[in-house]
Amino acid sequence: MLSEVKQNGKLNEKRRVLALPELTPPRTVRLKFCKVGTLQYISHLDLQRTFNRIINRACLPVWYTKGFNPHIKLVFSTPLSVGAQSVCEYLDIRIDREMSCEEIKDRLNAEMTSEFYITEAYLPSSDFSEIAWASYDISITTGGASAELAAKAEKLLTTSPLMMIKKGKAGEKEVDIVKMIHSLTATFDESTGNVNIKATVRASSTEYLNPEFLITALKSNLSILGGDPKKEYYSIMRTVTLKEDMTEFR
Amino acid sequence: MNENISSILKAVSKPGRYSGGEYGQIIKDKEKVKARFAFCFPDTYEIGMSNLGVRILYGVLNNEDDVWCERVYTPWVDMQEEMKKHGIPLTACESGDPLTAFDMIGFTLQYEMSYTNVLNMLDLAGLPLRSCDRDDSMPIIIGGGPCAYNPEPVADFFDLFNIGEGEEMLPELCRLYIKMKEEGSYTKEAYLHEAARSIEGIYVPSFYEVSYNEDGTIKAYTPKYDDIPTSIKKRIMTDMDKSYFPDKVVMPYIETVHDRIMLEVFRGCIRGCRFCQAGIIYRPVREKSPEVLNSQARCLFESTGYDEISLTSLSISDYTQLEELTDMLLEWTDENMVSLSLPSLRVDSFTKELMDKIASVRSSSLTFAPEAGSQRLRDVINKNVTEEDLLRAVNVAFEAGKNMVKLYFMQGLPTETYEDIEGIAILASHVIDAYYKCPTRNKAKKPQVTISVACFIPKPFTPFQWEAQDTLEMLAEKQEFLGSKITDRKIKFNHHDAKVSRIEAVLARGDRRLSDALELACREGFKFDAWDEYFDYDKWISVLERTGADPAFYANRAFGLDEVLPWDIIDCGVTKEFLRRERDKAYAENTTPNCREKCSGCGANRLGGERTCCPKLSKTEN
Ligand code: SF4
Repeated sequence: MLSEVKQNGKLNEKRRVLALPELTPPRTVRLKFCKVGTLQYISHLDLQRTFNRIINRACLPVWYTKGFNPHIKLVFSTPLSVGAQSVCEYLDIRIDREMSCEEIKDRLNAEMTSEFYITEAYLPSSDFSEIAWASYDISITTGGASAELAAKAEKLLTTSPLMMIKKGKAGEKEVDIVKMIHSLTATFDESTGNVNIKATVRASSTEYLNPEFLITALKSNLSILGGDPKKEYYSIMRTVTLKEDMTEFR
Repeated sequence: MNENISSILKAVSKPGRYSGGEYGQIIKDKEKVKARFAFCFPDTYEIGMSNLGVRILYGVLNNEDDVWCERVYTPWVDMQEEMKKHGIPLTACESGDPLTAFDMIGFTLQYEMSYTNVLNMLDLAGLPLRSCDRDDSMPIIIGGGPCAYNPEPVADFFDLFNIGEGEEMLPELCRLYIKMKEEGSYTKEAYLHEAARSIEGIYVPSFYEVSYNEDGTIKAYTPKYDDIPTSIKKRIMTDMDKSYFPDKVVMPYIETVHDRIMLEVFRGCIRGCRFCQAGIIYRPVREKSPEVLNSQARCLFESTGYDEISLTSLSISDYTQLEELTDMLLEWTDENMVSLSLPSLRVDSFTKELMDKIASVRSSSLTFAPEAGSQRLRDVINKNVTEEDLLRAVNVAFEAGKNMVKLYFMQGLPTETYEDIEGIAILASHVIDAYYKCPTRNKAKKPQVTISVACFIPKPFTPFQWEAQDTLEMLAEKQEFLGSKITDRKIKFNHHDAKVSRIEAVLARGDRRLSDALELACREGFKFDAWDEYFDYDKWISVLERTGADPAFYANRAFGLDEVLPWDIIDCGVTKEFLRRERDKAYAENTTPNCREKCSGCGANRLGGERTCCPKLSKTEN
């Protein structure tokens, strides 16, 4: 009877991993991951819990904090808001046994899905605080989409001032969002009938422009995306994060 | 998702409830499978995803290569509004297909107050509510779970019910469906007839005609065919070691109520508290062996990565090999940072050794359930614990530095007097005294006792199934009285809403005539009645009255001892004679020993079972 319960041998694997040469101090490994499709609806907090379980399943030799309530240390880069997808999220984990980055990536991917997976694992030489900008591809499906609408959208989002209320820790304040946009183009795609926006905007911890703001601005100024939600919708994809000098963050 | 509803998902709260895509979800090719099954949990995703029964049956059904089982939950109110507004039907998590695309739809009925959600979901799916209005082209609607032991209030809405454990019944139902479809012999009527005739545990309510006496009580159940059972006997899994076990689970991204490994240690309960339905309907007790449990726990840890294992069962400390099991688990859980938790502990089993092993009791608060305030009433309900047991248990806790205790009670129990109620306040103050008498207590902290008082609800298949529930006035008076007896600020007092308990009593002991009220409730938009913020007592009374149902007839009437009960059509294994004997003993204030001390001949051993405490039947008795 007992043999019917299939052990996949991970407990033994974990024991084997823990017997590998110890690393002191623990080593930080950076994971770059994709979070697309249905994962756009999963919040940052939920992602943390999920990664804990993935790491457990992957039998990674992660370092645990000391003390009363030992836990895995996970440090994420700039959070992504619910409703936005990304192909460039970053997470730093710490391991305390020898294991190659490639192996870490493969082990994790064996436990992840086609909408949520690791694209790179490497030893970082930068700090998340160096992230200054993020680029987004925004695709809008709406009634009245045309080259004119694209031109209007581009004009609106590149003409200062465009004041919007931003909620922060210290309450609400009005900001000119155009000042937080480095570059922005809007085009009309004949084949899909969509208006596509490419924007590079502020994404540092002190100055952060939620790409949803661009949509909000378009909605209220150009009266789009207000019809049948099954026919009018948009998607936001974070494509790359950049340092202050506009080189890619790694 | 078949339609682009991203705009809607971006507008509602917790969109992760609806987006699917979880690790561990099962995707099959819908062109290749022969039966599609939608498993519905009539409450939120967070609650439904936490249900062990659903995890098991999802696995069982998907184990059949040609069956694809998907999950469906009740969309929250904001999502429902969007769905209505934009003509979006209820869909299943995995494929995003509407429920009308399925061959079978199963609902698990875990609590009576979810009935309105069942109808709400059928309505959102665009399906007719009543079985008689659904034709051969529509899905078969199946009910199961604890409330199916008295399915009568919802009988008109379902095509069939599973009575008992579904691990074998559901696949059998699918096999029969596939067979009849392939043979070309399928009609809804023929299918239901064949299921009722050939599959044990299947109840097809439309095949039984109910007649009534002049006083409104039931006269008889008359089967429409002579080859279907006159009483539907519960199905059980006899050997829990061999019973299907889900070796992986769908991993929710969003936080759910029980977001951990649930290890089912045994089914049933040896205790026989006289108000408790679960303690009777899951009889006989069937244990899993510790080796099997340990192996299953390891397997689940490996496939899920959860860092907590909860040992679940009705009265977990009654497991005969708890020591062995926890020792085996601790051999690997500690090094893997996995903690153990126990949901319920009896005061007479609470020891320091156990406390040290279990994480959930490492928190500062502990919960015990004496259920009644006086020894007399505890004898009436057969809660075989004494004040001494309780004080010993809290002392163990206080010695370990804890200062908070939660105590669960029930009010409105049969034979209850004001003295018994005052006993609750006295017991609580004795717990406070015990704290100050404990020399090793945490002197920096004050003790805190929270007493939570639920209202007694007479439930089918309990020795108290015939009892009248106290009226709202009586319950309110008793609550006020108890409040006035609690003067110590260190004792906190909460009680359940008596109005919810009254409607629950109506539905628990209801018959088929309540279907009109439930249909009207659905038409008037009732949903999430298990949620305080959506339950509206006055509206319930109004739908009952407008459909000619008297709530007092079901809730506050003492049912006649030889009356035909709505649930007499179901055979849960335990005999009516046993329940009757237990009722008499309750009134005589006599207790009954637990099944391990002595068998009381409840009849459940007729069902068989391995690693049970029941005496084996000889062949001739069976
Ligand atoms: S048959 Fe006896 S031992 Fe078994 S459940 Fe009934 S009373 Fe308990």
